[in-house]
Amino acid sequence: MDGIHDLGGKEGYGPVPVQSGDAPFAHDWERRMWGLAREALVPSITIDWFRHGLELMVPGDYLTYSYFQKWATNYLMIFADDGIATLDEIAAGHVAQPAPPAAPKTTAQIVEQVRAGCTDFSTPADTAARFGVGDTVRTLPHGTAPHTRLPAYARDRSGTVIAHHGAHLLPDEGAKGRHVGQHLYTVSFTARELWGADAHPADTVTLELWESYLVPA
Amino acid sequence: MTSFDSKKAADIHRHLHSHLPPDPALRVKALESLAVERGLIAPETIDAWVEAYSEHIGPMRGAKVIARAWTDPDFKARLLENATAAITEFGFEGNATGHLHAVENTPTQHNMVVCTLCSCYPFSILGMSPAWYKSAAYRSRAVREPRAVLAEFGVTLPDTVAVRVWDSTAELRYIVIPERPPGTEGWDEDRLAATVTRNSMIGTDRVLKGA
Repeated sequence: MDGIHDLGGKEGYGPVPVQSGDAPFAHDWERRMWGLAREALVPSITIDWFRHGLELMVPGDYLTYSYFQKWATNYLMIFADDGIATLDEIAAGHVAQPAPPAAPKTTAQIVEQVRAGCTDFSTPADTAARFGVGDTVRTLPHGTAPHTRLPAYARDRSGTVIAHHGAHLLPDEGAKGRHVGQHLYTVSFTARELWGADAHPADTVTLELWESYLVPA
Repeated sequence: MTSFDSKKAADIHRHLHSHLPPDPALRVKALESLAVERGLIAPETIDAWVEAYSEHIGPMRGAKVIARAWTDPDFKARLLENATAAITEFGFEGNATGHLHAVENTPTQHNMVVCTLCSCYPFSILGMSPAWYKSAAYRSRAVREPRAVLAEFGVTLPDTVAVRVWDSTAELRYIVIPERPPGTEGWDEDRLAATVTRNSMIGTDRVLKGA
């Protein structure tokens, strides 16, 4: 969606917090939020639905909430949507009828779980690849509703395919809970194509783009 | 079950906005309590995740991979060919590295990684991402003015060095292979790994310090 999350190329956000933002966490609650999110709390969601959920936040909150505050809010939305907790239970911070507790995991189990969690997003497509390495392509001037991974700054721009990754899960469909494969490419754009004549002539920006985002140039 | 209904999700977000105190510590506490009471996770498991990523999984893993690439040309070739397969030689495969790509800095090319749409990061090889990587400033500016961003990190690039910014819009993740620092001839892998900074593997650091 054309939401506030689509930050690439937007101006006015000031300097990067290089020193103050060097650590992953500033507060203990951020640490706990991150740890919570490592477990598959809601097995029926997809990674694209999680991302789309963040995009659907109240725009002012998206911009002013800290990163893990956004995650907490998105998980509460997901809990309510999924029926894990009602809105009243969320407000109370407790469920009416607790379930048997989960068994705790050890650090060694987590390290092994991380290793085993190497997910392959390759998903067969039922069509042959339309583009090849070296082809010039043009991005669509618009995204797809409700979810797209074609950022606004790279729309209606011409670039060169520098890699073809076979077919991967299409996020546009993943956000709807569907498992559809589509060919995925890395496309390189010159900085001047994206930002105009003031950009450095040698600089480039690459994006991973699905085939339905592209047309022949 | 998940509805996958955008309108319903947006309605819930608006409800939370209007009815829930924004205090993030309270929201996380509520979320943790709800998850624990539903039997979805044990509190100790959260601690175990934090410990795993503090003690075992972090940028020291990436640094070991880079040091091997500097000293073993065959490994470097494997890393550039298929980084997901290459890091299994260390047992470092895992979360968010199922499609890992290594990109190499040269005297005329600098690589830098960003995720403008969210905050994608190769967790199993670099650990938890720094807060700046997730900041609106970095996400918005890295693609548009990478040289100005690099200058804020203390990296000044001459005009003869081209910058390529990799915007992680899919499930591919990137690790930058920085240039081996001068004066490190004959160093073993452990000593070389100690010269590799986290930021150099994201591409916001460039010239590493040797001796």
